[in-house]
Order: sequence, then C-alpha cells, then structure tokens
Amino acid sequence: MKRAPFRLPAQIGERIDRSRTVSFSFEGRTYDGLAGDTIASALASHGVRVLSRSFKYHRPRGALTMAGQDANTLVQLTEEPNVLADTTPITGGLEVRGQNYSGSLAWDRDAWLNAVGRFLPVGFYYKAFYKPLGAWRRWEPVIRARAGLGEVNLDTAHRYYDKAYGFSDVAVIGAGPAGLSAALEAARAGLDVLLVEENPVLGGSLTYARFDADGALGRQRLAELASAVRAESRITVMTGAVCQGLLTENWLPIIQGNRLHKVRARQVVLATGSVEQPVVFRNNDAPGVMQGSAAQRLIRHYGVRPGRRAVVVTGNADGYGVALDLLDAGIEVAGILDLRATPPHEERTDAVRARNVAIYPRYAPWEARRSARGILKGLSAAPIVGHGKCEPADVRLECDLLCMSIGYAPTAQLLHYAGGSVVYDRAAATFAIKSAPAGVIPAGSLDGAYDLETAIADGRRAGMQAAAGLGAPSRGEPPAVRGKNASGWNHPWPIFPHPRGKDFVDFDEDLQVKDIRNAIAEGYDHIELLKRFSTAGMGPSQGRHTALSLARITAEATGRELEIIGATTARPPYSAEKFGHLAGRGFEPVRLSAMHHRHLEAGAEMMPAGLWLRPAYYGPKDRREAAIREEVEAVRANVGLIDVSTLGGLDVRGPDAAEFLNRMYTFAYANQQVGRARYVLMCDQTGAIIDDGVACRFHDWHFYVTATTGGADRVYQTMLWHNAQWRLDVDITNATAAYAGVNLAGPRSREVLAKLATDVDLSAPAFPYMGVRMGTVAGIPARLLRVGFVGELGYEIHVPASAGEALWDALLWAGAPLGIKPFGVEAQRLLRLEKGHIIVGQDTDGETHPYMADMGWAIAKKKPFFVGARAIEAQMKRPLQRKLVGFTLVDPAEPPPEECHLVIREGAIVGRVTSAAFSPSLSRVIGLAFVPPEQTEPGARFSIKVAGGRMIEAQVVKPPFLDPNNARQEG
Amino acid sequence: MRTLDPAQFARRSFVYRRLVGHGAVFADMGGGVVAEHFGAAEAEAVSATRLGLADLSPLPRIGFKGRGALAWLSGQGVRGLAEDNRADRQTDGTRAARLAPTEALILSDLTATSRIFERLTTTWRLETASQCYLLPRGDSHYWLHISGEHAAAMFAKLCGVDLRPDRFAAGAIAQTSIARSNAIVIRSDQGSTLGFDLLGDSASADYMWGCLLDAMAEFGGRPVGRAALMRLADGASR
Repeated sequence: MKRAPFRLPAQIGERIDRSRTVSFSFEGRTYDGLAGDTIASALASHGVRVLSRSFKYHRPRGALTMAGQDANTLVQLTEEPNVLADTTPITGGLEVRGQNYSGSLAWDRDAWLNAVGRFLPVGFYYKAFYKPLGAWRRWEPVIRARAGLGEVNLDTAHRYYDKAYGFSDVAVIGAGPAGLSAALEAARAGLDVLLVEENPVLGGSLTYARFDADGALGRQRLAELASAVRAESRITVMTGAVCQGLLTENWLPIIQGNRLHKVRARQVVLATGSVEQPVVFRNNDAPGVMQGSAAQRLIRHYGVRPGRRAVVVTGNADGYGVALDLLDAGIEVAGILDLRATPPHEERTDAVRARNVAIYPRYAPWEARRSARGILKGLSAAPIVGHGKCEPADVRLECDLLCMSIGYAPTAQLLHYAGGSVVYDRAAATFAIKSAPAGVIPAGSLDGAYDLETAIADGRRAGMQAAAGLGAPSRGEPPAVRGKNASGWNHPWPIFPHPRGKDFVDFDEDLQVKDIRNAIAEGYDHIELLKRFSTAGMGPSQGRHTALSLARITAEATGRELEIIGATTARPPYSAEKFGHLAGRGFEPVRLSAMHHRHLEAGAEMMPAGLWLRPAYYGPKDRREAAIREEVEAVRANVGLIDVSTLGGLDVRGPDAAEFLNRMYTFAYANQQVGRARYVLMCDQTGAIIDDGVACRFHDWHFYVTATTGGADRVYQTMLWHNAQWRLDVDITNATAAYAGVNLAGPRSREVLAKLATDVDLSAPAFPYMGVRMGTVAGIPARLLRVGFVGELGYEIHVPASAGEALWDALLWAGAPLGIKPFGVEAQRLLRLEKGHIIVGQDTDGETHPYMADMGWAIAKKKPFFVGARAIEAQMKRPLQRKLVGFTLVDPAEPPPEECHLVIREGAIVGRVTSAAFSPSLSRVIGLAFVPPEQTEPGARFSIKVAGGRMIEAQVVKPPFLDPNNARQEG
Repeated sequence: MRTLDPAQFARRSFVYRRLVGHGAVFADMGGGVVAEHFGAAEAEAVSATRLGLADLSPLPRIGFKGRGALAWLSGQGVRGLAEDNRADRQTDGTRAARLAPTEALILSDLTATSRIFERLTTTWRLETASQCYLLPRGDSHYWLHISGEHAAAMFAKLCGVDLRPDRFAAGAIAQTSIARSNAIVIRSDQGSTLGFDLLGDSASADYMWGCLLDAMAEFGGRPVGRAALMRLADGASR
C-alpha cells in the first residue's frame, strides 16, 4: 500500500471521511482511499491517471468530468462491468480493473489500433465486413472479441432490486442553485415538493464552482439555500437519485440505489443545469486533460490535487475561477490560454492577473503532448487567427493537467423526453430552450441562467410558476430575471482541427473531426443521419460532450446556419440503468387452497394451475407413475379425496337466474329442479367451447355454478359482460375464493361421508346422482354436490374457505379406517379419461364447437338463444372437418402416444391426439383424438405419428371406456 | 405461555401457519382464533406505531351487493354509506364501507362484540331483500391491518395509489392492486396511529403476507397482535 501524494489538506464541504481508510485494488495493486472517495478520486490521490482504454483505438483514458457524465471512467468490478469510476464509491476489498484492453492497462497489446486509425474511417463497419456474401460470419467473432466494454460475470449473485411509487405536487429535478430556490418557493406556497439530486449532497455547482475571487459566495449561497431546504418540511429530498425520464403526464422514473421510484408529479421544474464542454484539439483525450469543473470537484469534493502543473484553457470567467482553485490547492498554473482576444475585467480574472499567472489571449491548445504511456506531459499552444484556425504553435508549456472551461451545453435530455426542444442561440453561443410542454418548467443554467444570482432568481421564478400552475395562493410577483442566455459564457468555436487528427469530437466512439467531415462528405449531412452513420453521441455519454461540436462542424461543412442544423434528439434513459432496476422485485401472485399445507405434509408434488398450486400426485418424483396408479386404484376400488377448491364457484342469484343461465350455457335450466345439478357448457360467440362445469340449483333464484380452474375468471367476466347488455335481474358473484372444495370419490365415499354429514340423508333415493344439498359436514356448513367427474360414486363438498383444512382433516379422519387416499390432478385426469370426459382447453381448442367435441347432447335444441348458438348453427351447415373420438391402440404393447401427436392419413395431417394414457383400470391405452368425420365410427382405424416419426395404429372406441351404463357413479 | 392451537378450531385464519411460525399467542374470538400477541404485547404496541402487520382475518365481516343493497342495509339501521369509497364508523364500533353504489362491506371492531353480523345474516333472505345479495366476505377475503408511521411508505412499494396520510383521509378506500393482487385498502387509524385495513383474495393471503413482510423489512416492520392494536386504539372507539 502507498500513501496518497496528491491528497490535499481538509477542504470545506469535502465528501470524504479522513478518519476512515478504505483499501481496494486497481489492476491488481492495492491502494488506500478514504471513506467517501470514488474509485477515480481515490486513484487520483495516488496519481493514477489512466482508468481505462478507449473503445476503438484503445487510447488511455482518465477522468474527464468527475461527474459520471462520460465514458472515460468506465471500469470493471468483479461482479459488474461498465461502472463509472468517478461516481462509484470505494468499499473495502473492492477489486477494480480497467476495461477494453488486451494484456495490461498500461501496456495494451491492442494499442496498435491507434496507429492504423486512418484505415478505420467512419462507417468502417458498415462497409468492410459485409462483402462478399458470408464475410460477416467470418469477421464477426474477430470483431466481437475486440469490441465491447466490460464483461458480465455470470456468477454474480442476484441482488435485491425493487420499485416504489412516489407522488408530489412539484418535482424539482436538480438541486443546484436554481433547483434549491425553486423547491423552496414551491414549498412555501404550501405544495409538497420532491427535490431530486443525482449527487450525494445538495448544491450542484455551489459545492465545487468558484463564483467570486475569494470563493466565499458559493459557500454562502449553499449554506443559505441548503439549510432552508432542510428546514422546510414540505420538501422531500432524494440525493444520489437520477431521474431517468420525463414521460407522459409527468411520470418520472427515478433510480436511487437499487430502487426505481415511479413518481407522478403535477408540475415539474427542470433545474438540471448544464454540462461543461470540451475543447476539440489534438490529443484532447489524454489522461490529465479534464474539464475545469472536474478539477474543482477533485479538489473540493475529495481533497485531491488533480495535478502538479496546470494549464487552463478558457473562454469565460469561470476558467479563471478554476485557476484560482488550482492555485489555492498549491498547483502551479503554467498559463491560461484564453480563446478570446481580450479577456474582459471581471473579479476572478483580475484576481488571477494579480497572482501573476501568465495569460495567453487569443491562444488555443494546438496539441497535447503525451508521454510514452499516452499521459499528458505538455501542451503546444498556437495563436488563433480565425474560425478554428491557428498559426503555427509558438508556445510550449510543460504540464500534467489541462483544464478546459470554455462554456456549457444545457442538460436538456429530460426536456426532450417531455416533448420540449432546444435551438442554437447565437448570442449565447450554445443551445437554448425553444419550447417546453405545459407543466414542465425549465430553470437555471438549463435555461441560460449561467450567472449565480440569475440562476437563483430564475429558480424562484420557476417555483412560483409551478405553484401558480397548481392554483396555490400567490406569494407576490415572481422576480424579474435578467441576463439569461447572455453572451460571454460560451465560446462560439472551441474547435481546432489538427492536420494529424486525434482531435476528438466524441470520446466514447473515438470520433475525430475528420470523421465527421467525411461522413458529411458522403452525404450524411442531416444531423440525425450523421449521428447514426458516425455513431457520434450514441455512446454511453449520449452526446453530452458531442452534440454542440457536432452541430458546429456540420454547420461549417454544409454551409447551413447552426439554428437550422439543430440538436440531435435525446431519448430516455438519461443514464445507464440495469435490468435489475427495470425488473424490480418480481410480484408473482400465487393462490393456495385452504388445504395446501396438508398436501405438502402428505408429500404432494405440486403443479401450477393458473395462479393456483395443485397436488399433481402424492409421493416422491421417482414414484410418480406408481403413485398415480395407486391413487387411481384407490378411487376405483375404495375411496379417495381430491382438493377441488381451485374450481371456479359462482353464485348466480336473482329472479332471472335461470333465464340468465339459459342464455349463457348450451343446456336448458329454466325447468331445472331445486336440489338438482346440471352440466353446463359455455361457448363464446364463435361457438367455440370455452368452459364447463355444473349448475347447482339451491333455490329458484339461486344457482351455484362451477367453472374450470383456469376458466373461472373468464367465465365471471363473460357473465358480467353479457349481463351488462341483457340487464337481467340477476347478481353474479365470483365466490371461488370463498369456498374450499373436495371431491370425495369411490365406492366407499358414502360410507365416509355418512360419519360426518349427519343431517343429510345420503341414501341413493334421497340424494341421487346429480343431486345437490345444503347440510353440515363435521359441523361445517356445506354445499354437497353428487357429481361424478371421475366416474365413481362421489360427492363434491364445498365449505367456507376458512374451514377447508378442517374439512380435509375430518374426511381423512373419517376415512382412515377404510384406507382413504388423497389423489392428485394426474390421477383425476386419468379417471376422467376413463369416463371419456373432456378437459376444456386440453381436449378442445379455440375452434372446437360442441358438435366437433361430440357433445351435441349438451345443446338444448328448443331454446331460442344461447351465446354461440348462431355461430354453431352456421358451422353445422357445413360438413364437419374433424371430430373428437375415443380410441385405443391396436397393439396393446405400444406405449401411449402423447398429447398433440398427429393423426396422419396418406401423408397428410388430419387430426391430433388430445389425451392419452395407460388405464390401470382397463389395462390398455386409452385416449381422445380429433379425426376426420369419416373415421369416427367405432372400430375405424387411424394412424398416429409418435415420437421418432414412427406410426402406430389406433382404433375408435365409443367412450366412456369404463362403466358405460354409469352404474358406478349413479349407484 | 400456553396458547390455543388454531388447528383445533374449524375456522382457521388463512395465514395461521405463518402466525404460528412467528410465535403467536392466540385468543378465541368466538368462532375463530386471532393472534393476540407474539410474546411481548407492550413492545409490539411500540412496533405497531412504527410499522406493524396484524392478521384480523378471524374477525367478523360481511358484504352485500346489488342495486338494492344500500337501501336494504339502511333499512337495517346501517348508517353512512353516502359516498363511494368511504368507510363510516357505526355506533357499535363496526365500520360500514361503501365500495360502490351497489356494494357495501361491514367490518367488525377489534373486540368483535357487535351482534350486527348475526343479525344481518339471519335477517337477510334472498326472496325478501330486494336486489340485495349477501357476500361471504369472511371467507372470500383475508383481512390484514398495517399500522404505523411508515405504513404509507411501505405501501408505496406495493401499490400505485397515493396513501400518504395527508392525501388519503381517514375512512378513505382504495380498490386497487397490491403486489399485483386485487385488494381493498381502507384508512383506519388506531387512535392516533396511522393504519390501513387490507382485504383481498383469501387464497392469496399467504402470498400477500410474504410480500408485506418483505416490503416492511427496511422499516423494521414486524407482525403484531390484536392486543397491540387495542393498545393503540385505547381511548378511541374501537
């Protein structure tokens, strides 16, 4: 471990804790930082300049903004690629590596790409690898191996991400001077304010910039505004929070840590500030070249000296503020290159002059000289003689730090997302806001207020405007804001192309001035086309440092006005976001029956059924087949119990209940007797079967209708939809969750139930097949349905859900002496198949009408209407294309085919298997299949193509396969 | 401390196993057993002022729907029900919540001493209660209570409705989605402590309990018993 030679004495407002040392490693070497340091600041304190390599030419790159606004600082962590080193805090033991190099960061084997840049012109990828045909297949692996940034570690443990909703009257994005002022004004008008700041502390530029000669003004304003905000209970502050978008109706996705906040605000004040712009000159990407604000951030936030000997390139007074900060930090300032011919008198400018710093008016940086490792070691400066033109360089300055402070571009991404726009303002020499949508109020330097007091006043104005927009009582006239979009803050042409290039316009994509000019020369002369062809502004920085230069170069090359060229469109998200943020904490509702835990205790293997979990069978997976067979045998020979709570249960009540069912279902219900159940088959308006169940009439005005597990919600919605039109005097209640249900089935089921249902006469004459009764079972009020889906004597028992487990317990207790056995869905499927009962959705599809399913018996022919009747009638005027039949296999030794195995005739597909299984009761394979109408007669044979393409022969059998006279279930 | 075993009762809370797992001590509320406390009622009361989750599913509740439902209830002496998505306290401590012009829900207080549920159940007849249909809300819906100063912030992780106390008044109702599951949220403070009743699909109770505990974790939220809520409500009508 090494001491940190670039660490400064304590700074006012620094973000580090000097009492806590944090060790981490970079490129395998251990460093000590301080708690609060970012990776970049900690490394800078040790003089480490190179953080990563550039995307295309593998040039060494270092900190540019210290604000997370560029791709130069993307580094690799053990568990995460593409992490911004200038905003990511160090933690103990953190392992950091650079990105995009081969070999080592210091000596990159791919650095030769820098020397062959002229062979990699703009659009290179589009042209070079696609011809001749098939060439891309060969090139792709080579390119992919070279391209890309960090590497995803697939062994990374899952992290907890979640989302939260948020609400505010006014959301203020950005807590710089304007944002703080706006938030205060809105809150003082009685509104709830959400103040969102991407940095860990409030203040924005107040935390690092120097607004006057002694640096006191910024500190003073910060103290005033921040303390006032903290004292205002109506302001909720989110720091370290990035607003990623401004979407419809002021929907703001804000990422803070591992949480995505989904905020809805009635008014939005955008105080997102502006981004300091780079100067375009040769080797402007060398580590050691950074924004003036980046150097100030290193000093003020982290107490780090950004270099030993500096040069400042500027075109405004802020650059002189940077120089003063450097001097105060003990850094020698070798000179100031001022792009202006005559730097005007200003407090900070004069202060620098007073400190005897050499100032070079009308001088431009011509070339940054680099060490063998590509790091800044000096600067050649040249006199400016015209628009981006210089005389030969005649000044050489030795330096390891070059600070650029030549102007700003508004951080207008959120404004763009909301539908606002910017236009080049010739007076301000940068983009200025042209329009903002209603309810979105720009303020501060985003809106051209670069002077501190102007920004504060503009923030107040915006806060008052937001309050007025929400009808809050007026607190007086908004302050007059003067001096917005004034000249003097932004230099109109900080671009100095070099004959030998490497004058980068876009650092992310390694785009030089000539690349842009060449693309335009090729015809891509519209800013949006140019962006896409050249990829300028399409890297991680999203054009923050590119858009303005791109527009200027385009204007020059095309001869069009900058106002016409415009700016490229920005699209969300504002910064990189993770899939974890988008996914959040997954919410996947699961419905459990009242008996769920009893199933688990009995060793059930559970299976999903819609949102429900149901027991598939009871026993270990390796005994699946045996378990199912034993369950089937128990039901056929003795007594079994299955949880049917998941079936839909709908109470249809009212004077028109029977008429309503008559219309909804295919059968007739008007004359159904109270105390009886009747099969129900529901079709949609095309005549396709969509559900089935039974309708139990407990009262003239009350039917309890069951539905399939997966179809219950649809049945309920369909009923509501139709009755909204029919307006019958009937109420429909989805009581599915209110009732737990079991099917007690088997020849000894009556014996079991008789022990518990003492108030119901269970004898066959008193409670016949398809009868329904109200009574009690084990003292629990119950609806009893004598129905037979599995083809045995059986009772469905429906009780209040809260008593479902008690019912289950009681039935198992009562059945224990008889050897009762719970059975699962798999056994039930087999049992019903033996009876030839269909499962809607398995044995039917979206085109299966009742006749096609051989269920014409379920249609009441005499009633005038039911949903789907007309469509069925129309379809029956044409010959059937297919029909559902029962089948068995000709060769009893053949294993059962699988669902959706095809029925083949003369090489053509003519049908498919819908269900098939080996029946332990019948000792043969049985199934249901769609076949052509001419092959539906019992005994007819057809061919099924099974796995591996083998053909097997099947023979039509009229279902039910078991107990054709229904003696078992009706006994 | 000896406790009742919920599994010895016919009616069991939809989350009774969760409660047992948390060490609940149960009390018989006449027909159902409710988690009275989890071993330290006084400490739970303090927790409940910050963020507590109580299961009230065993307490009585009943619903009615239909075009004649509100009129029938009014005829039975139920007061309020003048405004959709509002719950009004009755003189016996129960609350009547109007969910729609055609639907109402009546909730017990914490003591479950009101006889209104038996009276309405026995009085109601399909033939005579014109266009009014009884709903078995005690079984169709779980009933949880979330209390404490962090309750609204916790809900913000699960629900898109603004439940902040200054925006969601006492007695207000939201019929919304909580953690992608349909639910009814009723602002029902216990004394001066912010509180919400949460009712939803009883088959989803276990799922919802897990979601709530997960969302509560960052606030230090924990299960609390009925006794803790009683302490909060002390001095106010329950």
